[in-house]
Parts: sequence; C-alpha cells; structure tokens
Amino acid sequence: MPLPPEHRHPRSTAKIFGHPIHPMLVPIPITCFILTLLTDIVYAETYDQQWATASSWLLAFGLVVALFAIITGMTDFVGDKRVRNIRAAWLHGIGNGVASILAIINVFVHSRDGYTSVVPTGLTLSILTVLIMAVTAWLGSTLVYRHGVGVAN
Amino acid sequence: MRGLALLAGAALALSACGEKPADPSTQVGANPQLPKLNQYLLPPMKLAPVGSWGNNTPAVAPGLKIAALATGFQHPRQLYVLPNGDVLVVESSGPPEPIHRPKDFIIGLIQGHAGAGAKGAQRITLLRDTNGDGKPDVRSVFLENLVSPFGVALVGHDLYVANTDAVVRYPYAGGETRITAPGTKLTDLPAGPIDHHWTKSMVASRDGSKLYVGVGSNSNITENGMEAERERAAVWEIDRATGAHRLFATGIRNPTGLDWEPASGQLWAVANERDEIGPNLVPDYLTSVKDGAFYGWPFSYYGQHIDPRVKPQRLDLVKKAIPPDYALSSHVAPLGVVFNTGAGLPQYRGGAFIGEHGSWDRSPMNGYKVVYVPFSGGRPAGKAQDVVTGFIDAAGKARGRPVGVAIDRTGALLVADDLGNTVWRVTAGR
Repeated sequence: MPLPPEHRHPRSTAKIFGHPIHPMLVPIPITCFILTLLTDIVYAETYDQQWATASSWLLAFGLVVALFAIITGMTDFVGDKRVRNIRAAWLHGIGNGVASILAIINVFVHSRDGYTSVVPTGLTLSILTVLIMAVTAWLGSTLVYRHGVGVAN
Repeated sequence: MRGLALLAGAALALSACGEKPADPSTQVGANPQLPKLNQYLLPPMKLAPVGSWGNNTPAVAPGLKIAALATGFQHPRQLYVLPNGDVLVVESSGPPEPIHRPKDFIIGLIQGHAGAGAKGAQRITLLRDTNGDGKPDVRSVFLENLVSPFGVALVGHDLYVANTDAVVRYPYAGGETRITAPGTKLTDLPAGPIDHHWTKSMVASRDGSKLYVGVGSNSNITENGMEAERERAAVWEIDRATGAHRLFATGIRNPTGLDWEPASGQLWAVANERDEIGPNLVPDYLTSVKDGAFYGWPFSYYGQHIDPRVKPQRLDLVKKAIPPDYALSSHVAPLGVVFNTGAGLPQYRGGAFIGEHGSWDRSPMNGYKVVYVPFSGGRPAGKAQDVVTGFIDAAGKARGRPVGVAIDRTGALLVADDLGNTVWRVTAGR
C-alpha cells in the first residue's frame, strides 16, 4: 500500500534508473578541491612546480564536474517544493555557489606562472573552498539522511 | 567576509584590464619607465585576427620603397644572405608544445586565432636575383627536412644551420642552389620534450673560430620547473673546431637575434622579456652581450627588479644582474636584428634594423613593425624610428608580421613576414 502524500520523501528530479544523480557527482569536486589544497601546501613547501601543475588540473577537473553537480542539484531543488521548504537545502545551495565562485577565481589565480599562482592568494582560496565545502557537504547529507530527499518510499 | 573581500579584489583586478598603459614611447631608449608590477586573474590580451595583403604592401618611411621579393612561403622566419648574393629564407615553426596545464590548451586556441599556430615548411629556400632588380630568377629548395631551423651562418665553405635541437654543418662550395649532402652535427642544443622558446639565433665570430647561439628560456617565468631551464636563457659560445661550448652570457630570457655592431665589433642581441605582469612590463630590449654578464632572468628584470613569481629567489645572482642597453618597449617581440653596413640605404647607416613581430599580452597592441635604432660610436644614439609599418590594417586585422631582417647584396633591407608568407624588400626611393 503506497504511503499517504504527507509521509512520502521529498523527490529527486534528476535521476538515472531511479538513482538521484547529484549525490553521485558531488564526491568528485569535493575530492578534487581537498587534493588541490594538499598539492598547494606541498608546492608552497617545496617550490616544485609539478605540485602547482597538479593543483591547476585538480581545480579545472573539479570545476567541470561541479558544473554538472550544480545543474542536477538545482534540478532537484526546483523540481520539488518539499525540497525548497527545507532550510538546509537553501544553505547547502548558497554555500556551494560561493565555494564554486571561489574555485573559479582560483582557477584563474592558478593560471598565473610561478610562485604567485599559489602563494598567497591561490592557497587562501583553496583553504576557504575546502572549509565552506565541509559545511555544505554536512548540510547535503542532512538533506538525505534526515529529510530523506530522493530516498525511495 | 574574507571571501567577499577576495571577490571585490578579483573584480578590481579584472577591471584593471581596461586601463590604458603609458605610451610605448616612454619605454624606448636607455632608461625606460617601469610601472609597478601587477598580477592578474586574466592578463590584458589583444591579438589581431588574420587578414591578408591582397594587392597592398606594408608602408615605409619617407624616401623608401617596398615591394615583395617573393611570396608563397610557409612561415618564413629568418633570412641569410650568402656572399654571392643568394638569399636564404628559413621557413620554420616550433615543435608542438605539450599541454602541461589547462592554461596551455586555452593559449593554444587564442594563438591559433591569430595565425601563430601556422606550420612551417622546416626547410630553407634559396632566392637568386642575378641582376638585382628585386625579381628573383632562381627559386630552389636549398635544404629540407630540418628540425625547426632558425639561425644560419657561413664560415668559409662550412654552412651552419641552428636547428632547435642542434647546430648542423653542411658543405657549401659556393653557388649551389641545393645541398643534398647529409649534415654533420657540431653540437646538441637544449630542445624537447618541452621546447617553449625554440628559435636558436646564430652568428659566427668575425674570425670564424666561434659560433654564438641564442638559446631561449623554456618558460615564461620558470613555470615548467628549473630543471627545464638548464643552459637556457643564454648566449652560447661554441668552438667551431671542437663543438665544445660555454655560456657566454646568461639571464637573457629569449635572445632571438644576434649581430655584430660594426664600429665596436661587439656582439649585440635583441631579446624578448617576460609576460603577464602588466602591459608595460617588461620592456623587450636590444643590448650588447658582455662576456660573463648576467642579465637577470628569471630572478630579476631590467637590472635588479625582483620578480616575485620565482622561488627560490637568488639574491646573490640578482646582485650581479646588469640592465640591458636599450629598451624597445614592452611586448613588441623583437625576432630579428641586423646592423646596416651596406650603402643601399644611406639614411640608415651603422644602426640596427629590428623586426618586431608584435604583442599579444598588451592592449593596445605594440610592435608589428620594423624599426631602426641609430648608432654612433658603437652605442645607440637616439630614439628608434619606424621604417616599415602597416602590418595591421584599418579594420585591425594583421596582414603580416615581421620577423627576420637582413641586408642584401645591393644594400636593400629584407624582411621576412611569417603571417603574410612573404619576403619584403625595402630600397631607397626616388
């Protein structure tokens, strides 16, 4: 017997074979941006350009996947009023928007040549991006594990 | 809050692109004005889309005439005049650059838009104009299957070609229109896998015992790592008998042209300085090349102005850095130099013609012309004068870009145009 509407979980709109896409994508930018911070730190300590180069690729790849995560996340947000009614969903979206803008600026900073492609601005942006993402990732899991967004009924 | 401050800073940095830099004339001569260094999210850039000459020619200074000596080349970069008057046209391009960073991919797209990605024929074409009327009657493939060649020098019956990876010697008896003999390697030169500044300029010493080769840096400012810069950003002195070399002068980022100043007999070079710290930084230059001197790259520019992008910094070396003699203004990209010792252009005697390929990281654009720097007593004497202009048309399209310059048997100025695929010949007008 199906659940009455008031007991059903908020729906995910961007799905593939019944699986929400957004949660499958988000680990990739999160991992990339954490690794960017690590390679930035190693570069700042060693001056070995290979680490700065690694940072630029990690940032660029992380951002490309983040774009798809944003599209699918926005689709889920817009697609069900019950998602929009959750305060954590707003904070999650806005926070990740800010983090993505910082990461975009960081791509440009990392496109500079030499030391100032990382220190101090690039490294600062990498730290801020990771700090914001730590909060937004927590909020994102709140949406699933507490509010059941996208969870099957 | 910190994030917001950074965002505001970013907006400011981006808007700085719209600021107009000081006029290039403030950076021509012995004491160029150097503004404060800037670092950008997106450095100012302006490239001309590719146009064509049609029936037009470049413009020349009063008292001069210009006509095409020959057209239809594949990326002509350098010119060399043999003792019998034959003109060698080096048609060349660099090896493909590996995509090291996401940025390299974007820059490749931008440069392609400006026609800078054109493939050279990797050969040398010979032009023979028997009666000197500016219309060659022989055109022949002189040497082919070369490896990104640039510099050429003849000593006696030995013809040297500076490929990007080696100096190679060919037998030249005199008068041939084609060399088929295999070359003999004299010396390896720094090349791949990364070979960023690939052009190896070359002159022979007056007595023929030495070859001087300009070897450019392997990066803008060491972003490919210091290991990639071994024996680069230097003028090499190669012993012609043994092939042994030493670094004659160092810290010259990209010495793209070398020639002997006729009054003093000293070696002079044109060089391309670093990018992406502002439309008026750093001026490209013409300088005497002093034995054992250090000219700053990468640690400092124009003497001892420290570049913060280089770590670890070497203050011990910065202390030794000397400024170059004569600034040509920023990003003009001088790619060829020749001192005029001929009699064909009497108003330009004794000074240096310089081919300025033109800027990409400056708005408005700079260069795209051939200038003349007058000399007196072995030193530059006065402002650079425009000699050949009009490479950018009224619509802002580049019809051509000057590279190598040479003086032919009749004393006319030859200019290689690697975008217009033409060799221009400038003579005294009536």
